[in-house]
Amino acid sequence: MKKSIIISALLTLMVVFSAVAQEGKDKFMVQVDGLGCPFCAYGLEKKFKEFKGIKNVKIDIETGDFSFSYPAEKALTLADVEKQVEKAGYTPITAKVERANGEIEESSASEMTKKSEGTVSKNVMVAGNCAMCEARITKAAESVQGVSAVSWDKDTKIMKVSFDAGLTSLEKIEKQVAVAGHDTKNHQAHTDDYGNLPACCKYERLSYK
Amino acid sequence: MRKSICILIVLVFASACKEKAPVPKEWVLSKTIQLDGVNPIGLTQVNGAIWLSDGDHNRLVKIDTEGKITETVDSLDRPMHIDAIKETIFIPQYGKDVIETVDKKGRFIMQVSDSLDAPAGVSVFENERAIADFYNNRILYFDGASWISFGKEGKAEGEFYYPTDVQITQDKIWVADAYNNRVQVFDKKGGFLQMMGQNQKMNAATGIFVSVDEVFVTDFENNRVLVFNKTGELLQVLKDQIEKPTDMMVKDDMLYVINYRNGKLNIFDKQPVVVKD
Repeated sequence: MKKSIIISALLTLMVVFSAVAQEGKDKFMVQVDGLGCPFCAYGLEKKFKEFKGIKNVKIDIETGDFSFSYPAEKALTLADVEKQVEKAGYTPITAKVERANGEIEESSASEMTKKSEGTVSKNVMVAGNCAMCEARITKAAESVQGVSAVSWDKDTKIMKVSFDAGLTSLEKIEKQVAVAGHDTKNHQAHTDDYGNLPACCKYERLSYK
Repeated sequence: MRKSICILIVLVFASACKEKAPVPKEWVLSKTIQLDGVNPIGLTQVNGAIWLSDGDHNRLVKIDTEGKITETVDSLDRPMHIDAIKETIFIPQYGKDVIETVDKKGRFIMQVSDSLDAPAGVSVFENERAIADFYNNRILYFDGASWISFGKEGKAEGEFYYPTDVQITQDKIWVADAYNNRVQVFDKKGGFLQMMGQNQKMNAATGIFVSVDEVFVTDFENNRVLVFNKTGELLQVLKDQIEKPTDMMVKDDMLYVINYRNGKLNIFDKQPVVVKD
C-alpha cells in the first residue's frame, strides 16, 4: 500500500513537471515557400540554430511546414521568425504561434509583409521565353505602386523585384504579372491572357498542385 | 592469275587491319538497391567500398553490394557531398560549418582559410582541395600551397546562386551551381571557362560527377540525371528509377546514382545502343 502511494506520488510529480515544461515553451508553426531539397531544409534549420534554446525542429520538405518550440520567457515574435526565414533565403507564407499561456497569434504573408518597413527584395519564378516576355513581365511588375526595381532572367525564369513593403506585396505583384499573361510561382495566368501572347512567347505552362 | 592472288591477299589483310567503328553505347539501368533507413546525399568509395552520407540521420554509412550497412560514422551534423582519397573520407558538415576527415587515425577538422557558411560539397584531388560554400555563394580552392576564393551571388558567368557540389579534375574545377540550374567550369586560378546545362530546364542542379569523358549532373526536382560530354553537349537523360537524385559516381565502369527521398541506389552500366526499326 505504502509502495503504491509512493509510485502514485512520483507519477503525479512527473505529470506536473511535464506540464510545467510544456507551459514554458511557445510552439511556432510556419509555412515556408521555396523549400525543395535537403539543402534548403537543412539551411533553414541551420539559420534557426542561431536562436539559442530552440527545440523540436521539424521540417517537411513536401509541404513546406516548419515547426519548433522556443522558451516562452524569450518572447520570440512572429516578425523575428519571418526575418530569420528570409535570412535563410526563403519566403514565409503563413506563421502561427501557440504561446505557453494558451494564446494564439497568427499572420498571413501579406500581414507579415505590411509589418516590415522599407524596401525589400524578393525572388520568384515567372514563366516566359524571350526578350519580349522580359519586357512584358518587367512592365507589368513596374506598374504596381511601390515597386522600385524589377529584373527577369529568361534562363533561370527568376524575377527579382524590389518594393516598398508598406505599399505593396509580392502577392500583388505576382497577380499583376499573371494578368499580363505569365504564370508565376503562386498565380496562374488566365487562359485568355495566356492566349493573347504572341507565338514566340507561348511558354510551357507551370503546373500547380 | 598470280597478280590477282597477290591483290586478293593484300585486300584481305587490309580489311583485317581496318579499325572497327566504335559501337555507340548508352547508360542502362541494371540494378536498383533499396537502402534501409538511409536518405543519401553524397557518395564516395574507399578501397572499392561505397560510403554514403545520410544527411537526415547525421551519419555516414558504409554499405555492401546488397546495400546492407556494414559500418557507421555517427555524430555528424548534416553531412553532405563527401569525397575520399586513399583511406580518408572528407565530410562537409552543413550544420557545423566544418570539413571533417575520417580514417583509421581518427577524426580531424580540416583547416580552412576562412569561415564557412553551410559547406555543401567537398572535392579532393591529389593535394588539392575544393569546397562548395553554399550560403557564401563561393568556391574555396586549395592548390596544395594556398587557398583562393572565387564567386559571389549572382547569375552572370562566374557567379553562383547556392553552389552545392564541386569536383577538381586534372586542370579544371567543376561546380554544380544548383539554383542557377547549371554547371560552371573554372581554371585553377578561379577563372571562368565554360558553362553547361543552362538550356536544359533543370530545377536544382544539386550534384556533379566528372569522369574521363563525361559530366553527370543531378536535376533534383525533375527526377533526372543529365549526361554531357566535356564540351557541354547533352548525350543522355537518365530517368529510370531516378527520384530526387542527389549525387552519383562512376566506379568500375558502372554509374551509381543515389535517390535522396526514397533511399534507392541505382546502378547503370554502358550497353550498345539498340536501334529500333
